[in-house]
Amino acid sequence: MYYECIPTTCTYCGCGCSVVLQVLDGHLVGVLPGKTNPVNEGSLCIKGWTSHEFVYREKRLKNPLVKKDGVFFETGWEEALDTVAGKLKKIKEESGADSIAALASAKCTNEENYLMQKLMRAAIGTNNIDHCARL
Amino acid sequence: MFGSGAMTNSIAELEDSKCIFIIGSNTSEAHPLIANRILRAKAKGAKIIVADPRKIHIAFYADIHVRQNLGTDVALLNGIMNIIISKGWQAREYIEARTENYAVLQESVANYPPEKVSEITGVSVQDLNAIAEAYAKAPSASIVYAMGITQHTTGVDNVKSLANLAMLCGRVGAESCGVNPLRGQNNGQGACDMGALPNVYSGYQRVDDEEVGKKFDAAWGAQLSRKPGLTLMDMMHAIEEGQVRALYIMGENPVVSDPNRAHVESVLKKVEFLVVQDIFMTETAQYAQVILPGVSFAEKDGTFTNTERRVQRVRKAIEPVGNARPDWQIICSLSDMIGYPMNYNEAGEIQDEIKSVTPSYGGITYARLDGDGLQWPCPTSEHPGTKFLHKERFTRGRGLFSAIAFKPPAEASDNEFPLMLTTGRNFVHYHTGTLTRQSRSLDDEQKEGYAEINPLDAHKYGISKRDRIKVVSRRGAIEIKPEITGRVPEGILFIPFHFAEAAANALTIDALDPVAKIPEYKVCAVRIEKVA
Amino acid sequence: MEALKNKVNELLESGGIAGFLGLRNFGSEPFPFLFTRDTAAEVEKITTGAVRYPLSKILIRIAAVYPDAIFGIMCRACDERAIIELFKNTKLRSDKVITIGISCTDDLVQACKCENPQPSNLVSGEAGKKEFDRSDVQKIASMTLEQRFDFWTEQLGKCIKCYGCRNICPVCFCDVCTLEDQPLVKRGEIPPELPSFHLTRAYHMAGRCVDCGLCEEACPVDIPLRTLYRRVRESVKELLDYLPGEERDKVPPIQVLGDGLFEIRD
Ligand code: SF4
Ligand code: SF4
Ligand code: SF4
Repeated sequence: MYYECIPTTCTYCGCGCSVVLQVLDGHLVGVLPGKTNPVNEGSLCIKGWTSHEFVYREKRLKNPLVKKDGVFFETGWEEALDTVAGKLKKIKEESGADSIAALASAKCTNEENYLMQKLMRAAIGTNNIDHCARL
Repeated sequence: MFGSGAMTNSIAELEDSKCIFIIGSNTSEAHPLIANRILRAKAKGAKIIVADPRKIHIAFYADIHVRQNLGTDVALLNGIMNIIISKGWQAREYIEARTENYAVLQESVANYPPEKVSEITGVSVQDLNAIAEAYAKAPSASIVYAMGITQHTTGVDNVKSLANLAMLCGRVGAESCGVNPLRGQNNGQGACDMGALPNVYSGYQRVDDEEVGKKFDAAWGAQLSRKPGLTLMDMMHAIEEGQVRALYIMGENPVVSDPNRAHVESVLKKVEFLVVQDIFMTETAQYAQVILPGVSFAEKDGTFTNTERRVQRVRKAIEPVGNARPDWQIICSLSDMIGYPMNYNEAGEIQDEIKSVTPSYGGITYARLDGDGLQWPCPTSEHPGTKFLHKERFTRGRGLFSAIAFKPPAEASDNEFPLMLTTGRNFVHYHTGTLTRQSRSLDDEQKEGYAEINPLDAHKYGISKRDRIKVVSRRGAIEIKPEITGRVPEGILFIPFHFAEAAANALTIDALDPVAKIPEYKVCAVRIEKVA
Repeated sequence: MEALKNKVNELLESGGIAGFLGLRNFGSEPFPFLFTRDTAAEVEKITTGAVRYPLSKILIRIAAVYPDAIFGIMCRACDERAIIELFKNTKLRSDKVITIGISCTDDLVQACKCENPQPSNLVSGEAGKKEFDRSDVQKIASMTLEQRFDFWTEQLGKCIKCYGCRNICPVCFCDVCTLEDQPLVKRGEIPPELPSFHLTRAYHMAGRCVDCGLCEEACPVDIPLRTLYRRVRESVKELLDYLPGEERDKVPPIQVLGDGLFEIRD
């Protein structure tokens, strides 16, 4: 028997409201508005109030997928990451770092965006990094 | 301009502004928890001005609502400035003390007398005067804008014109004033701040600056390229020409979000190696060779930066679903395997590194983010964060006026495509719908795409609300349900872009702003047909 | 506060309750938390403060998973009123809930215009003074019909259909919500159809609304929702002689049938 509330930040628009995730026995069961946050002061919009609902949808991807002959197969992390790392290294050797490009995301965290550009710039060696939400 | 693409002021300050000029922002639907501040300002006596072709929700609470022709914002703003200068309402001392190039502005807006502007924009001279007076004379005045300003071939011109107007009236660097872009996505600000851009590292430090380059070489222990990389649109072209062979997409769905869907799909089919990291099988992921399952915001630690530059915590509440992994851990593993080890035990350690190489985030640690978060710039561990920017001076020193000439949108209506299409959001959904359409309540609230069409147009084409219509542009065609409403003026169609099966972006044009490379989602020419 | 902590520890240790639902400081902010024997160390971080979350509504969710367990709950007077209605509507069982009363500061009582801030079984603090302030209801009653119409049109027109008023309300507990009934309220547009969305909710609060004001606190666009529901509450008192939450032993005059329907008992 365990119930707690974890304050976090809404995953939708740029307002950045504080949403409080209700967790019951390890499961996300609902959302409450952060009451003291200076952005939303105890309110949310329809999206914030339902921001937990997509998390457990059956359609969530639960394992890495690799395409063989046009069809996706589930696989383990080792194999999937091996395939990606191997292929990127090979393309870099053959055609240079600038033949690789990446798109980071306005939906991911700061830390992830930072690491993505670091991956491209330091590990691969190219500045071909952008994201889809130019304002 | 005066640098940086963030809100100059804070969300809470809007409440005490005495005049709020909203242009190109459907605030109540796209940024509801900012719209409420605007309504509060009104209750406290502020004048609300809305410039939007559609009669959006916030327009019902406007003192002045004008419905300018699509893509005529530069003319509208020049016209307003023309009036302000001719009446002598500009902030003379401020212009003198804090800006440069005023003569150039004066000369260029002289070409936009109210009558001419009225002709271009469809806004009456009387309304132009009223806006100019309300904005220039209020004790404090804020400008609020969003994608309705930026998603044009003249997006940068539009933004510069807003900066001109704000500086002309001394509205930058003061409480409850400023120029305030509202970011469409939760972490659009953070993605830019963190250097997910081809020309800058985190904190907008230029990759082609030798000094900066050396700093990052040392910090990251690598010999880094000084050559700016490709933008998204350039990547697409480079793939077509065979110069880019591998593309790694994390958490984006360009097939639905980018203009000219058919083109994006052909590019993704062409690229030799496509990796997509996401939490659902998106329209984009279908084209991948490898799909890596990331996690939702509820399953990981980190930070988001909102549109007022406030860095706030994201906290892990539950374990990852299935065998999915936090995106930051996936990147670390990949990097290790490529031969560049990344060792972080937890997300907070990444922030510690960000802080050490990014001056504007220099004082930000997880411990300090407890509670309200911090607004950058926050350069040191004692710094309280920054409520509004440019208080004493602009980032670049003096604020620079620029002469902006009106240019019509890339596409105009003609005999073949007699209607104009604009796109945007609905209050229920978010972006490409990847998340919101998987949410039961939201899906129930709004299940399918629709095209708003004016009753006069509906009558003209013999369309009733039970029909389905086909909307055709030079790039593609979609079938969709009509929503007959006076919200759109005659001659204009509006389609929200959340619905992949009725994707507005199958129709939109991929003409870009020459500087910002943002596509003109907000204007293109279409025709409609009733589906038999 | 020490008295509260002691009481909670005592109940947990004696096995009198399986868990205690209250507020815990998470960093610098209070959020709902279920204190159990396993997490007894957290009792140190228990807090009362001025921040209110719908604890009774949260308890419905927890109790549904643990129907046989007995729970303690931190209770302001408004929480207690809600719990009384939840007992009557069989959403909670009175033999499975122990209320631990906490007092409200005079400031909070005033801000809430709370007519009865005194919970039973008070463990922490002194009971606040009652605040009889009907000025909001009176102000609207004194308007002409036309003025009233304009006032509500302007106020309700601000609605962005967040459903927050419903989501946070401790006595909004139906499995199927009439506000989502497409023929009644057209979906997918803001403001939601006037006045059907708001009047539907107001009717449904008849005989249930305990005047806690959480709905108004959660409304992003500052609609004076509570004033509307207070008027409904007063009508129910006048017409059916029932004041929700105040009358432990009276059968409620309006029965909620669970799928959005309700009927008046004879
Ligand atoms: S709750 Fe609504 S307004 Fe607030 S951040 Fe989320 S989507 Fe934006
Ligand atoms: S005041 Fe509002 S939240 Fe409280 S019981 Fe009444 S309707 Fe529900
Ligand atoms: S809380 Fe306010 S905005 Fe939200 S649905 Fe209720 S009345 Fe409308």
